[in-house]
Amino acid sequence: MSEWLFFLEVTLAGLGSGALLALTALAYVLIYKATRVVNLAVGEMLMLGAYLFFAFAAGWGLSAWIAIPLAIIGGGLVGGIVERGLIRPMLGESAISVFMVTVGLGSVIVGLVELVWGTDPRALPAFIDTSPLFLGEAYVSRKIAVAFVTAAIVIGLFLILFRFWRGGVALRATATDQAAAYSCGINVPGVYSAAWVIGGATAAGAGLLLGAIGGISPVMGVFGLSALVVVIVGGLDSVLGALIGGLALGMIQSWTSTYVGGEYTNVVTFGIMIFALMLRPYGLFGTHEIERL
Amino acid sequence: MNITRRAGMAALAGATALTMVGAPLAAQDDSIVVGGSLPLTGVFAFAGIAIEKGMSDYFEIANEEGGIDGRQIEFVYEDTGYEVNQSVAVFNQLTSQNDIDMYYGDSTGFAKTIAPELQRRGDMIMGGASFASELNDPEEFPYIFIPGPDYIQQVGILLEYIADENPGASIALVNSDTEFGRDPIETTKERASELGLEVVEEIITPPGAADVSTEVLRLRRSRPDYIIFHGYVLSPIPEFVSQIRELGLDTQFMGTFWSMDSSLWQSVGEAADGFLGVMPYRYYYDEEEAPMLDRIREMRPEYQATGYMQGFFSAMLMTEAARRAVANGAELNGDTLKSALSSIEEFDTGGIIGVPVSVKGNAVPFGRVYEFNAESGQMEPVSDWIELED
Repeated sequence: MSEWLFFLEVTLAGLGSGALLALTALAYVLIYKATRVVNLAVGEMLMLGAYLFFAFAAGWGLSAWIAIPLAIIGGGLVGGIVERGLIRPMLGESAISVFMVTVGLGSVIVGLVELVWGTDPRALPAFIDTSPLFLGEAYVSRKIAVAFVTAAIVIGLFLILFRFWRGGVALRATATDQAAAYSCGINVPGVYSAAWVIGGATAAGAGLLLGAIGGISPVMGVFGLSALVVVIVGGLDSVLGALIGGLALGMIQSWTSTYVGGEYTNVVTFGIMIFALMLRPYGLFGTHEIERL
Repeated sequence: MNITRRAGMAALAGATALTMVGAPLAAQDDSIVVGGSLPLTGVFAFAGIAIEKGMSDYFEIANEEGGIDGRQIEFVYEDTGYEVNQSVAVFNQLTSQNDIDMYYGDSTGFAKTIAPELQRRGDMIMGGASFASELNDPEEFPYIFIPGPDYIQQVGILLEYIADENPGASIALVNSDTEFGRDPIETTKERASELGLEVVEEIITPPGAADVSTEVLRLRRSRPDYIIFHGYVLSPIPEFVSQIRELGLDTQFMGTFWSMDSSLWQSVGEAADGFLGVMPYRYYYDEEEAPMLDRIREMRPEYQATGYMQGFFSAMLMTEAARRAVANGAELNGDTLKSALSSIEEFDTGGIIGVPVSVKGNAVPFGRVYEFNAESGQMEPVSDWIELED
């Protein structure tokens, strides 16, 4: 096998895992964009989405094609409940207080999952074909290819919605100036709820894909930390930043793991984050005024 | 307002009671006290919960049979979340409240952190969940023991099996980037070379890695006959196995003790069929004659995980060490207990391990290779019990 073909395969693998990062990063962005809340519990909401799928598909024996939408709806419901129950009462409180609420929320979700499903790692019922995929001569894991296509469709859809759909415009308007959005008749609390519901559903969808690849466990939410790097580099309020940041980080991690060694992946990942913060504190594609915690 | 406050106090009391589940009871004056920093929550909770059951069951059996020279064994422990700082806090709390003779620690990090304190105190010995090779040094860690073969010895058992089955085979090592995962790498390469085996690929995966397609590409290039995974419980091994099988590579997959629980592999299904690994103890369902396994099955009719057997055997070693020290008329402390533990030779475990075992150095270097059968959902032995020399 030629070195170039191998490099191409490694790059494609990186793009695939980067797409998963981008999808998770999208959950951060959607919530931050509308509500200015950095939700540190995105990783745990992702994990909960994967467990909901596990409950529907393995516990109740439902077909994967019914369990998938149910898990995503469940993730959205969780997002909505969190917004109405925890985040909205915190309106007007300092950003760090709301941030800490999300940190606590993450621990609560882990505890609840351990209580309900136990602490054993588990494999999700297979819902993606595992036969290898070849693009020309280049091998691509089918699960990773599915993750890539799903993430690309979802993120593309959100880019279009934010640009053309009234709800998307309302969300952008709320993000820009809440008082002005109110005065234009936009239902700002409704936008808040919608952002959390969509963010929760997106996280659950990412959890399904991640769980299909690596299995599930109560600690799989740690994946959210890598996605946080993506949004910090790409910009906390930029959907495009999440996409480009996710794909770029996926490729860099893949190259690092192959040519330098897996033990350097985290060093490089968080090194990039520090470097990006120093160069552009608001992210490569973020809005200049973003406050950092 | 009063009602609210009362309700709040009740809730607080309830929460406190909940956190005290498994908390230390005041030990009786003449009892022998075993303490434990146990990972009942967090990343290693699946093992911690099973270990707790195994240890508690063995101490219950020992106490029913009269304890140690009439003295009952008390087991006091708290949850650590598998965090070293929390494990140390639990150690400090339990040792301040109890006169502890033996201790169970939850990780290599904790064992190494607390070792100087054990030496300073000199009043107890400690085993635990770690099989770290570094701990198998009686000079440096005089009060620590490993309830089985250390990680280098575990991989050594696998290498001996490979050399026997397929002389000259090629091997890839896949290890997690953790202290646990990196433990046996260098020694494994040396040992493989001595046995005429070729290490053709070494892969380190970052902690928490789920997608392994990049690593699979490297394995596809090197085409090893065997891949030895170490430093994992389950993920990402199934994804490795699944992708490599789909690529049509004729490779056999192997793991070490903590990745050998059959109930975890059952959830993986057909892809797990043929997964090999080293197991220092018998499985709950093993059919060979084993009176102690029969006793366990009486106490717990449902399957018990590998962590249970590890906890059970740890408690058995601790009890035997204390029994020997008491029989010698010695006061229980680190030196007398460790000396008694080291005197264990040709010890009958009641079938928990298939041959009589001896303590060598700080470890018990015995094990057997098992293979997962996806149809039965069980691990089946494919080798005799292997005893490693030094």
